[in-house]
Amino acid sequence: MQVAKLKKHHKAKIISIKQVSLTQYFMKFVPLDDFSSKPGQFVSILCGGLTLRRPFSIASFDGNEIGVLFKLKGKGTEFLSNLRVGDEIDFVGAVGNGFKIENKRSLLIGAGVGVAPVFYLKTELEKMQIPSLLISGFQTEKEIPEGIECDKICTDDGTAGLHGSVINYIRNMIEEFKPEKIYACGPKIVLQNTAEIAQRYKIPCEVAMEKEMACSIGVCRGCVIKIKDKNGEKTASVCQDGPVFNGEAVLW
Amino acid sequence: MVEIQDLKTSVDLGRGFVIKNPIMTASGTFGYCFEYARFYDIKKLGAIVTKAITLEPRAGNSGRRIFETCGGMINRIGLENVGVERFMAEKLPLLNKGGMDFVINIAGSSLEEYVSLAKICENHKIRATELNVSCPNVKSGCLEFGTDEKTLYGLVSQVRDEFSGCLIVKLTPNVTSVEKIAESAQKAGADAVSAINTLKGTGIKLTWAKNRFIKETVSGGLSGRAVKPVALGVVSRISQVLDIPIIGIGGIYDLADAFEFLSAGASAVQVGTANFTHPECAGCIADDLHDFMYENGIRSIEDLKEKLKGE
Ligand SMILES: Cc1cc2nc3c(=O)[nH]c(=O)nc-3n(C[C@H](O)[C@H](O)[C@H](O)COP(=O)(O)O)c2cc1C
Ligand code: FES
Repeated sequence: MQVAKLKKHHKAKIISIKQVSLTQYFMKFVPLDDFSSKPGQFVSILCGGLTLRRPFSIASFDGNEIGVLFKLKGKGTEFLSNLRVGDEIDFVGAVGNGFKIENKRSLLIGAGVGVAPVFYLKTELEKMQIPSLLISGFQTEKEIPEGIECDKICTDDGTAGLHGSVINYIRNMIEEFKPEKIYACGPKIVLQNTAEIAQRYKIPCEVAMEKEMACSIGVCRGCVIKIKDKNGEKTASVCQDGPVFNGEAVLW
Repeated sequence: MVEIQDLKTSVDLGRGFVIKNPIMTASGTFGYCFEYARFYDIKKLGAIVTKAITLEPRAGNSGRRIFETCGGMINRIGLENVGVERFMAEKLPLLNKGGMDFVINIAGSSLEEYVSLAKICENHKIRATELNVSCPNVKSGCLEFGTDEKTLYGLVSQVRDEFSGCLIVKLTPNVTSVEKIAESAQKAGADAVSAINTLKGTGIKLTWAKNRFIKETVSGGLSGRAVKPVALGVVSRISQVLDIPIIGIGGIYDLADAFEFLSAGASAVQVGTANFTHPECAGCIADDLHDFMYENGIRSIEDLKEKLKGE
């Protein structure tokens, strides 16, 4: 029987929850039992009486405290935003494959809340002394989450940092920073552009995808995307086969 | 108090398919076999039902497949599965080795497909199959077989001829008279029926952005807490006309929910969507059932069902 070694279902205590931008919150919690994770993996949090757990990329983990960044989007995130320090939460995780860290100059691209997993990745790369550059894009200055340090910022409306979508700056960053590997997370349009540009420069690229989920452990096939296969194409679950995919494997 | 060795939680679903307790997991919500074993000892379950298997592999529907609703969810997975050949080669050996009771859920788009699947199950000595004639999420077949009593009679009779194990027919609530459909399944030789599969429904999400509405529509099958009253209604009605065991399904999250189904006339239950919300849910219900019977001196599921009729 295939029984995973590490327990995947946890209770945790919230140790801080803070509004960090106009619509985003950063929540930190400490699991009550053993937990480990790597960048690109996510946790699936139970939101009160709602049927579906909500998946959130891990934004930080220091061996004890897990951090997630979330944007107010609907009932689930609204429920979470009303939680307080000391409240208990219930989550499944860490789930998903995570980024494949390599000893290569790394360009990290984040957009919106998609900055969370690449921010976590940056912390780990720094620990391993792998050179990296994190550029992220937001709609406007008020949407830039406090406490998430990026090397470069762009805003769609030019209210902070570089003016325009992060997509417009990928080529510049590649020319300037000369990365040997690219990682990205954000809306599909950003990931698709990143993957295509990376391919043109022949730089390996990993993208962390998002999709509505039900089980978050590869059972229901609710979160699948299409990827390339030797026989053409096949479906892959974002929750288990992903959320991280090779940019060139994804059929956009 | 009953002595623990005298406690009999088993249920006979027909043709010697006796499951050790009435708590099962529903098709499509529990994977092929051991996916949930990372959360708890799934051997405490009465039986698991595999996700639907079709003759050929299926890629399922494209586009958004999941939509949360108030008290439930809509899915339009579209029977994505590896196909019967790969299933029998890769998953069946694991299930057989796992030592727990399981039911193979089969779905087809033609009578011939169901019959072929039944033959394959027979050849692999499968002890129980659940005939899925109630999936609302595929373009052709499946649901059509479960909405017309004559068509269903023909289908179940032919499958019955090929399959000697326990044959369960899974009913859809998307019909005018579920009693007639259930009766024709029984007449055609079904050993048990399970009810319900998902209800047809549509979710619409509108977002106002840049002076226009972005519209997302997801039409599929509704499941979860929201469907429990419908499921209880179906189970109550068919229990008036059937002699064979009924397996209740729909919005079961805890022992109290399971009791309501037994009270309505079910002999066993399947836990579906609740597995997504609370991964250990079905196992907890099995534990709670055992504890309840033990603490209250109830010796068997028959006794329990009798008591559950209420005063
Ligand atoms: C994601 C999902 C996939 C399902 N797939 C199947 C399936 O393959 N075959 C089937 O007979 N029923 C399938 N069902 C229906 C369930 O087995 C069950 O009948 C229904 O969800 C009602 O129970 P619940 O409210 O406890 O979920 C599926 C349900 C869901 C939510
Ligand atoms: S959410 Fe169920 S397979 Fe990914």
